[in-house]
Amino acid sequence: MSANISNRSFRPYTGEKARITRAYDYLILVLALFLFIGAFHLHFALTVGDWDFWVDWKDRQWWPLVTPLMGITFPAAVQAVMWEKFRLPMGATLCVTALLIGTWIARVFAYHYWNYFPINMVLPATMLPGALVLDAILMLSNSLTITAIFGGAAFALLFYPSNWPIIGLFHVPVEYGNGQLTIADLFGFEYIRTGMPEYLRIIERGTLRTYGQYATPLSAFCSALLCTLMYTLWWYIGKWFATVRYLNKI
Amino acid sequence: MKTLLIKCLVALGFFLSLYTLNVQTVMAHGEKALEPFIRMRTIQFYDVQWDKQKFNVNEDVSVSGKFHVAEDWPVSVPKPEASFLNISTPGPVLIRTERYLNGKPFMNSVALQPGGDYNFKIVLKGRLPGHYHIHPFFNLKDAGQVMGPGVWLDIAGNADDFTNEVKTINGELVDMETYGLSNGILWHVFWGVLATAWLLWWVRRPLFIARYRMLQAGMEDELVTPKDRLIGKAILIGVPVLVLAANAMTTNQYPNTIPLQASLDQILPLSAQVNAGVVDVETMKAEYRVPDRAMTFTLKIDNRSDKPIRIGEFTTANVHFLNKELQASYQKGGSESMTALEGLSLDNATPIQPGEQRTMTMTARDALWESEKLDGLIRDSDSRIGGLLFFYDDHLGERFISSITAAVIPKFN
Repeated sequence: MSANISNRSFRPYTGEKARITRAYDYLILVLALFLFIGAFHLHFALTVGDWDFWVDWKDRQWWPLVTPLMGITFPAAVQAVMWEKFRLPMGATLCVTALLIGTWIARVFAYHYWNYFPINMVLPATMLPGALVLDAILMLSNSLTITAIFGGAAFALLFYPSNWPIIGLFHVPVEYGNGQLTIADLFGFEYIRTGMPEYLRIIERGTLRTYGQYATPLSAFCSALLCTLMYTLWWYIGKWFATVRYLNKI
Repeated sequence: MKTLLIKCLVALGFFLSLYTLNVQTVMAHGEKALEPFIRMRTIQFYDVQWDKQKFNVNEDVSVSGKFHVAEDWPVSVPKPEASFLNISTPGPVLIRTERYLNGKPFMNSVALQPGGDYNFKIVLKGRLPGHYHIHPFFNLKDAGQVMGPGVWLDIAGNADDFTNEVKTINGELVDMETYGLSNGILWHVFWGVLATAWLLWWVRRPLFIARYRMLQAGMEDELVTPKDRLIGKAILIGVPVLVLAANAMTTNQYPNTIPLQASLDQILPLSAQVNAGVVDVETMKAEYRVPDRAMTFTLKIDNRSDKPIRIGEFTTANVHFLNKELQASYQKGGSESMTALEGLSLDNATPIQPGEQRTMTMTARDALWESEKLDGLIRDSDSRIGGLLFFYDDHLGERFISSITAAVIPKFN
């Protein structure tokens, strides 16, 4: 990191300058929050989509693979800017918090009040534990490589266990129509979705489950490996798009 | 110039706001949108009946009927190896509590066989009061939604009275409307508070410009303090421990959970109801006269039953063309507006005697070809028609159904 201002000649802003820079902080924060609420929410809806929308899509195989992989993108890009330019280790937490604000607004107003679905059928997943750990690893290591390997892996590995307390009770079985369903499946059957027939669900497919029926750990580790790569890719995307040219003119 | 522009925009806004005074509820949901050849040659619904059309919140209502899966399945539509018998509703204003195919309950998607005959029943329960246009229909994988006949349902009562209790295998009675909601909110709030605390920890200090300048001055060590590092270490250890502890608590609380169920139901068709081998029909030719809105079929009919029979009805894509002399036999199910009461005419109306083979002309004529957008068939790449032909014995005692299909030749003048 090159230093444009020498350590000895550095003098912190005071008085009016300090007040203005603080006001600028809040202005950027509010704008960033709305930007990430909109942009990350849109990205998440388009890539993770139904896996996050519906309780009967949150399976043990595809959901823990796809969600962290798509969810680590914006956090990595924003961390690249926040850490490299400002040494602020809060990019991941900020992004995921913004995502959850947008998601909750959509679930309550669009899904519940507008389309009549009970909110418990459309509870979002949380990635906040993984985001906190990702921020902490970046701060403590100050290393892209270590954060990508250990932070990316932790982001993926923590996803399913941190959401099981939210969705576990929806996997209690019920006897229905001479068969067994989970309560989550029953939501999909009972609460009619005209454009969402059951066969569209991409759940429990493939042969991962042949590993002694332990599909979730395999999916999580697969996701962890991919997240390390995805983290690095999006870190550089964030770095590529970020500029501080306006700050240099101050 | 600027003032003129503002005046124009204000005027435009005023006129557009007038339009909102006359906003009406949408009365359809795209049932005519699918290409005619798919609507006519995939799932052919008939005898669809609702047990009631006015009922209250929490009250059951059922729709039952039959359908034939066309033999002449369009080449461009994937075979119905995964199909879902659904109900078109504006959101879950009703819930589906039971569903049967050929008398067997089924919860997932089902594989259908072209040429197969099936009957179905769906039991629904009123959830939100209102006036709704509802269809039974099939979602066909990679093809779209093939609608059955629609009706208007009126649900009365109070939405707050709705209950939906289900018993788990462990015997616990749960209310589906609220089950797991407070628990979900609790966990989201819990992690949200921790995340907010972490964000506030950093936001309370000068952020962008001040930190950027310090970083440029090589004062990196002052930007992350030992206390920050201590909290970071606490997060690194504490968060995974919390996650695993919460996970273990949930596993202990719900030890008998199962994965989501994703099977494809296999239900065999009934014995032949359509093309049952008693009355054989071969379609020699079909012509559509555009100015007359009339489809004329040349049919070769072989009556192998022991009774004289007559053609009473031709049905395609939920439109019914009736022979006015045999209307009494018609089993109402769909909307009256989809029925041409005198739409079917024959060149030879005398009964076809047992053992007789007759080549005859049948014309289905009505504006419904146009209003239901079925005449678009002549501009489809697969311009073949399909439908069901209903024969009745001379005393209306017995019914024979044949599926017919043919390429359509348009006559533009």
